[in-house]
Amino acid sequence: MKLAYYPGCVARSTGKEYDLSTRAVAQALGVELEEISDWNCCGATHCSNQDLAVALSARNLARTGLPVMTSCSICYSNLRDAAIRLQDRTLRDRVNRVLEVKYQGSTIKHVLEVIMEGLEGEEGGKRVVVPLGGLRVAPYYGCLLTRPKGGIDSPEQPQVLESLIRRLGGEPVEFPLKMLCCGGPIFMPQDGAASESVLRILRSARQAGAEAVVAVCPLCHLMLDAKQRLAEAKSGEELGLPVLYVTQLAGIALGLGPDELGLEMNSVSALEVAEEIYRRMSGEQQC
Amino acid sequence: MRIGVYVCHCGLNIASVLDVEELRRFAESLPGVVVARDLQFTCSDAGQDAIKNDIKELGVEAVVVSACSPRLHEPTFRRTISEAGLNQYMLEMANIREQCSWVHMEEPALATQKAKDLIAMAVAKASLLQPLESETMPVSRDVLVVGGGVAGISAALDLANAGLRVYLLERKPTIGGYMALLTDVFPTNDCSICVLAPKMAEALAHPLINIMTYSEILSIDGSVGRFTVSGVRKARYVDESACKGCIGECAGVCPVEMPNEYDFSIGKRKAIYMAIPQSVPLVACIDENACIGCGRCEEACPADAIRYDQQDQEFRLDAGAIVVATGWQPFDAKRKEEFGFGRLRDVLTTLQVERMLNAAGPTGGEVVRPSTGEVARSIAFLQCVGSRDQTVGNLYCSRICCMASLKNSQLIKEKYPDADISIHYIDMRAGGEGYEEFYLRAQRLGIRFVRGRASSVEQGEDGVYLHYEDTFLGRSVRKRYDIVVLSIGLEPDSGADVIGNVLGLARRPDRFFEIAHPKMRPVEAHIDGVFIAGCASGPKEIQVSIAQGSAAASKAMQLLIKGELDLDPTVAYVDQDRCIGCKLCVDTCPSKAISVKGTALVEEARCKGCGTCAAACPTDAIKMRLFTDEQIMAQVEAATAVKGEYPFIVAFLCNWCSYAGADLAGTSRIQYPTNARIIRVMCAGRVDPSFILEALRRGAEGVLVMGCRIGECHYVKGNLQALQRVQVLRSVLEKAGLDPRRVRIAWCAASEGDILARTVKEFVEELKDLGPVGTELMQAADQAIRPGLTDKADPNKKPPNGAEQKEA
Repeated sequence: MKLAYYPGCVARSTGKEYDLSTRAVAQALGVELEEISDWNCCGATHCSNQDLAVALSARNLARTGLPVMTSCSICYSNLRDAAIRLQDRTLRDRVNRVLEVKYQGSTIKHVLEVIMEGLEGEEGGKRVVVPLGGLRVAPYYGCLLTRPKGGIDSPEQPQVLESLIRRLGGEPVEFPLKMLCCGGPIFMPQDGAASESVLRILRSARQAGAEAVVAVCPLCHLMLDAKQRLAEAKSGEELGLPVLYVTQLAGIALGLGPDELGLEMNSVSALEVAEEIYRRMSGEQQC
Repeated sequence: MRIGVYVCHCGLNIASVLDVEELRRFAESLPGVVVARDLQFTCSDAGQDAIKNDIKELGVEAVVVSACSPRLHEPTFRRTISEAGLNQYMLEMANIREQCSWVHMEEPALATQKAKDLIAMAVAKASLLQPLESETMPVSRDVLVVGGGVAGISAALDLANAGLRVYLLERKPTIGGYMALLTDVFPTNDCSICVLAPKMAEALAHPLINIMTYSEILSIDGSVGRFTVSGVRKARYVDESACKGCIGECAGVCPVEMPNEYDFSIGKRKAIYMAIPQSVPLVACIDENACIGCGRCEEACPADAIRYDQQDQEFRLDAGAIVVATGWQPFDAKRKEEFGFGRLRDVLTTLQVERMLNAAGPTGGEVVRPSTGEVARSIAFLQCVGSRDQTVGNLYCSRICCMASLKNSQLIKEKYPDADISIHYIDMRAGGEGYEEFYLRAQRLGIRFVRGRASSVEQGEDGVYLHYEDTFLGRSVRKRYDIVVLSIGLEPDSGADVIGNVLGLARRPDRFFEIAHPKMRPVEAHIDGVFIAGCASGPKEIQVSIAQGSAAASKAMQLLIKGELDLDPTVAYVDQDRCIGCKLCVDTCPSKAISVKGTALVEEARCKGCGTCAAACPTDAIKMRLFTDEQIMAQVEAATAVKGEYPFIVAFLCNWCSYAGADLAGTSRIQYPTNARIIRVMCAGRVDPSFILEALRRGAEGVLVMGCRIGECHYVKGNLQALQRVQVLRSVLEKAGLDPRRVRIAWCAASEGDILARTVKEFVEELKDLGPVGTELMQAADQAIRPGLTDKADPNKKPPNGAEQKEA
């Protein structure tokens, strides 16, 4: 299978490990990725001008004839939102007037969907060479993966990450704040409120018995992982919860090494999670 | 045809503007007219006697009364001529008051010319009138009531008490509907089943009511007065006549336990069960999907009533009328995923709380936390769950939920005064007798009212947490509650789809059944002989449902009490020799009166006489009595015979709105130009494009078609069909080289005389600009012959092909 890959801006900055592990996981699943040439911002930063945001997404989508995959939930939501809005002929004509390559419709996938498809059936099951050994993982969705509705799963009560965790041999924990805002969009003007949100999410995951959190969005990951120390310092509470990108967690199960997945690039060490998984596998094999 | 014409002075109402003597002389000269008189007041006894006398003495066979609007005095003069022995349909009226003398007061000469045309048109139509006989049809006096809720029970009792036989059909094993499951009911907090059970028992005991529970309808044929209904009575595996209703014996030994749908899954029931203790009939029922066939109930039954070999039974019955009281179903709270119903145990629906509050319910009257079984001390009610919510496709207010939550919160607060109760609302709606007082009572009891939508419910360690916005405080809040109660809205019962489909009932955008008029005909369906009561036509509280049941019963009584129906003869019929069986008319008919088996057939009892089928028929096989093609064409011909005015307009106005609007312009003395000659049709949908073409061919500068405002057509969508035909015709005209603006279509309500006047005025101005009909063809022909010359009048016009022949 061949897909167009839209990395999005974070792949070049705070989410390098997401980009790295996405490419590695795609390869492990036999999916060939062709990066969209000369791609631009998905439009998320132009939310104040909807038409411009749609045009920016349309330019990206128009540059390939392949289905477009992205790993960033913000990009995924924006590209999908644009595709929905572009069903309106008037808007589509208006946008196409300024595009050098005209937009003619597109299919958009999140890397999570691609992983789920790669693990389908008996053949897919065989790809899980390092099962997670019952690792208790908190599935954290954030806000944009399931919005606008009609995409990968229900916008209010999705289950797709839980299915993935089970498929990889882990155990999803039931934690009520799996959809709560990570605080990312307000962490600059409302630092305190954002930290509070991070604390509540991680505390809820911890109370549910999670050993790790899985995230699907680079902004959520930034908040839960890189800002975890800050939140700990503010509250005086120790959390120490590793937060893995969905591609990192799946990558471990697919037998990819820590270097290929950029595990050492996470702020809260993700290497320990990998080691724990390896330990459980060797333990099981001995029994 | 020997025609008599009577020109009315109407005192000075007509005579002060029109030259009545001139009109009389003109009428006398028309072909077929044997007598023409002018009368001071034609509607007076003296006037009527003059007409009667001429019928007897001069052998007048058709009468033209040239006076006021037929909407005013047509019934009067029909009676007059029938008293003289003429068929009542041998009458035509020329409206020279409302549509002439009253609206052209400053232009007596032009108005008199217009009145001559109107009389000539009426005489032309009168010469083609045919006597029509009103037939009577014997009808069944039995009524089928579908739905055994409170509306259906109310209808059944009223009908039976008036002496009509009633079949009361119910899908569930008992009648009673949702009302039988409620606890106390607003605004008086009296016990629901205590007031309903006597009615249920009365229905059961009534010799004229045949209660058919556990039954469903399969098909309905026929029409008003003679519906044939077939259905199936499902096997309940219990002999109804033998069962004593003790239920404890059989259900006590039944090993199968399952969630009780009559408790909305709060309690449990057995595979053999009775829906409610007050079930009518008081008979057990075996759930065939749950029963494992162990045979224990058969052994236990002291009356030997169990029948494992019982079969579903088909039935057929005849009914003269049908009352549809199919009710509602609760909105599926699981669809609002953010509130966690079905996932979080302490999130409940209003109906579950109703059952808990019910002393005979699964918790014995206590509202408890399902997660712990303890009495709930802090409760949040969330309003508008599934109502007023575009995300679930329900734009409407469910009307009863505010009151239901007010009531339930009061019941809890009365029992546990320290209970912490809040109601989260968008708008509190308490419109009804005693409702506002009820709302005040809840406020005094210390119930908290929070304005704002709740956003989500989340499970915490110690209970459920509600996230909500308090729009008065401008704050978003997270608060712990023992239980959260979702005030779910009402949706139309999906089980009613079958009856909706077999009867062809229309639905509104909110999916409830549509009534014949949103205000004036609250319990009538679009189909004759079918009435709708209760929540089938939208959410309603108990008292309104009861009133509607009675109203529907009264309508059915008026229809059937005589045992025969007078059929209006002004309906459509099909010339079987010309019909090609294309079925175009079937979809066109708003009353579902036409069926095609080889050729089309109009079920005359169903037909309401709009005539849109006659306009749609490609072979002119459908005839509309009293408004036949020939009669209307004769009017067009007479109107355009002289063409004494420029620009000249032939106008087709629908009887109910635009013709009435023209009458109102007259009674309001709104003055407008004299140029239009008005032809009355029952519906704008009757206007056949050939009428319009004929008017233009005969030299009219323009043709005006007017109907009811969109959405207000008395035949549902006749105006839309007219619009479609006019649009097609316009494009044809354009291709032929005629300016499409010569055909105008407009809407006008009966209250909009000013709009009618303005429309005529604007049209006259526009037609003046366009010039005499055919100007555009001549210009085009000019250009075709001398292409080098630029046409200054209309530089954009291209020469159409074959324009010369058309013009010739």
